[in-house]
Amino acid sequence: MTKPIIEVKNLAKSFGKNDVLKDITEQVNPGQVIVVIGPSGGGKSTFLRCLNLLETPTSGEVDFDGQNLTTLDTKKVNELREEMGMVFQGFNLFPNMTVLENIKLAPMKVKHLDDAAATKLAHELLSQVNLDDHADAFPSSLSGGQAQRVAIARALAMNPKVMLFDEPTSALDPEMVGEVLSVMQELANQGMTMVVVTHEMGFAKSVADKVWFMADGYIQENNTPEEFFSNPQTDRAKDFLSKILM
Amino acid sequence: MKKRVILFFALLLSLVTGMTAITSTTAHAATDNSLTKVEKKGTLVMGTSPDYPPYEFQATVHGKSQVVGMDVAVGKKIAKDLGVKLVVKSMSFDSLLVALQTGKVDMVISGMNPTPARKKSVDFSHTYYQGGYSIVINKNDKGIYKDKDSFVGKTIGAQTGSTMYNESKKQTSGTKVKGMTSVSDLILALQSHKIQGVAMEKPSAQAYVANNKELAAIPSNFDLSASDTSASVAFAKGSTALVNKANKSVDQIKQQNLVNKTYLPEAGKYLKTNTVNTSMWHYWKAFLTGIKYTLIITVCSVFFGFILGVILALARMGDGGVLRTGLRWLATAYVEFIRGTPMMVQVMFVYFGLGLIVNLPALTSGIIAISLNSGAYVAEYIRGGINSVDSGQTEAARSLGMSGGATMRYVVLPQALKNIWPSLGNEFITLIKDSSIVSIIGVSELIFQSNIVRSDTYRGVAPIAVIMVLYFILTFTASRILNYFERRMQHD
Ligand SMILES: Nc1ncnc2c1ncn2[C@@H]1O[C@H](COP(=O)(O)OP(=O)(O)OP(=O)(O)O)[C@@H](O)[C@H]1O
Ligand SMILES: [Mg+2]
Repeated sequence: MTKPIIEVKNLAKSFGKNDVLKDITEQVNPGQVIVVIGPSGGGKSTFLRCLNLLETPTSGEVDFDGQNLTTLDTKKVNELREEMGMVFQGFNLFPNMTVLENIKLAPMKVKHLDDAAATKLAHELLSQVNLDDHADAFPSSLSGGQAQRVAIARALAMNPKVMLFDEPTSALDPEMVGEVLSVMQELANQGMTMVVVTHEMGFAKSVADKVWFMADGYIQENNTPEEFFSNPQTDRAKDFLSKILM
Repeated sequence: MKKRVILFFALLLSLVTGMTAITSTTAHAATDNSLTKVEKKGTLVMGTSPDYPPYEFQATVHGKSQVVGMDVAVGKKIAKDLGVKLVVKSMSFDSLLVALQTGKVDMVISGMNPTPARKKSVDFSHTYYQGGYSIVINKNDKGIYKDKDSFVGKTIGAQTGSTMYNESKKQTSGTKVKGMTSVSDLILALQSHKIQGVAMEKPSAQAYVANNKELAAIPSNFDLSASDTSASVAFAKGSTALVNKANKSVDQIKQQNLVNKTYLPEAGKYLKTNTVNTSMWHYWKAFLTGIKYTLIITVCSVFFGFILGVILALARMGDGGVLRTGLRWLATAYVEFIRGTPMMVQVMFVYFGLGLIVNLPALTSGIIAISLNSGAYVAEYIRGGINSVDSGQTEAARSLGMSGGATMRYVVLPQALKNIWPSLGNEFITLIKDSSIVSIIGVSELIFQSNIVRSDTYRGVAPIAVIMVLYFILTFTASRILNYFERRMQHD
């Protein structure tokens, strides 16, 4: 049996009196694609951000590659974040840099790659997301789908072991959702470990190994997509599915 | 404004006397090293306010503007007898005694009367000149005014902080007394009928009248003690050795009647050459110097102010831990304090206050003070700029493994700076104008230079008009350049 790459143990997170995550214990194995779904405000983003410590858990622990992140010092956390790429709903590209510079920044400043190596890497990744012809464009001139693909390439540039996606297609016009999902599918096919928060049920059905249904601060169900969609266990999940599958 | 300055000086003076009293009671009770100190440095620094001909004034000698006058001759004589070199430092009359007490100058010769009040804070030499007071009026008014008592319901002007100012207040009734820092300003006020007379020492009055056909002098008829009409050299309290030595020179000057025989006629010569060419073109070098220093001060202050501003902004945004909280508290207090006090006061405090610890030249003091001031304002712009950058930018950078510092430096700050570029540009333009404040400590920037030209040419308005245009050219050019860069940054 393989060792899990991410292990979450009794994770809880509150913002003041608002207990967003109550008690979460789950694990992700290498190469797995996990899709997290659930109602708005259920804490999905918070959960994802706790995985790479953008949010500090109130209690419990997050182990990555066998190390408990919550006990590490800042420097070590920074190093481990390199191994967890993150893609945001709002892209968060750096608007003052070209596409190429967006991708080169972290490899150069964190991994200390020289300019030539970083440029080469960036072009490779841009080809992978079919955007090499936009290398010198500024983010403001890109469509949403293009911007998100650049953001994926930027995260991949650090050669991460895991990719975290927080609703990567929610901000996109419908006709652009496909191009982003296909890049993600490609990534999954290459064996990338992924945790994806999304409302794209088609993607969940066809790509996910496991679906985690999250509501009210708990992972209510953890099942294969076939099982989850055809045979949800909790009323909460049934209710949720009936609403989105209408 | 003027009042505030005076108040501040009074405060500073008492502070300084307090401090020197504490530090020097032990020191000078044991030894009086005033003389050996001067002999060791080989220079004797004389402070003076060069707008009081023929005592001291600016004149162009061999194409270079310098301070001349009978007081300078007295200073030269004292220095020569001591076997050291005389260095003349110009500053406003108000600042002279503070400069003496803070060690900026070794002595003050500026037509200063050894009044009992002044004797409390400084030591005086014997009198080197016994004068009297006149009142300068417009020639057209000659029939109207006879002496100090003819100004009922009218206004007499006098140099702020001078004996004439105090006596005019005391010895007239129903007359308003207006104080201004420089005599050239007073003459200008007189000619534009803001005031009806200017009280000043007789030789000065004669010099002004001789050089300006519109003016006339009348006797003042002030009731004065000898100490009010005599001029002495002022030294720091307790420098007995230096005073004794200077007294030897002063006694010789009196004995040989050097002031009337040599010094005054010499000063008169400079006055004559001075009135020949009063065209503003003739003084382009003086204005150029002014522009040079205005730009040096502004550029340096913007540079250091910016660095300080970034540090302060980051400190103000720090969080967590005792150290960071402490730093944040300090930075906040600093910013509030600087923004809550006038820049003029800060300039004087750095020059005179820090002067107690390290002897900084006026230019350096000015740059330090303005940088410290500007830093507080820039910090607030930068803080606003940093807050205006979307938090998603930080998250993206951190998720890529970048440290907090690297995120700030490569991702947040560049965007913050772009957002606040217009505010920073405004700060730069404001500093071009506000740097004029350092003229009070004698830095040769535009305002200071224009004052020199004014007392040099006896022309009140023209130099002001010239620097007004010059300031506008500077600020306008600066704002064009800044706009250009702003537009270039807009491409993304
Ligand atoms: N930084 C924060 N400070 C305070 N409250 C927060 C913070 N971030 C999230 N919350 C709160 O936590 C709860 C869960 O938010 P979260 O964004 O994790 O939900 P979500 O499941 O991602 O919802 P959505 O589908 O709308 O993205 C919400 O009530 C939200 O207001
Ligand atoms: Mg969310």
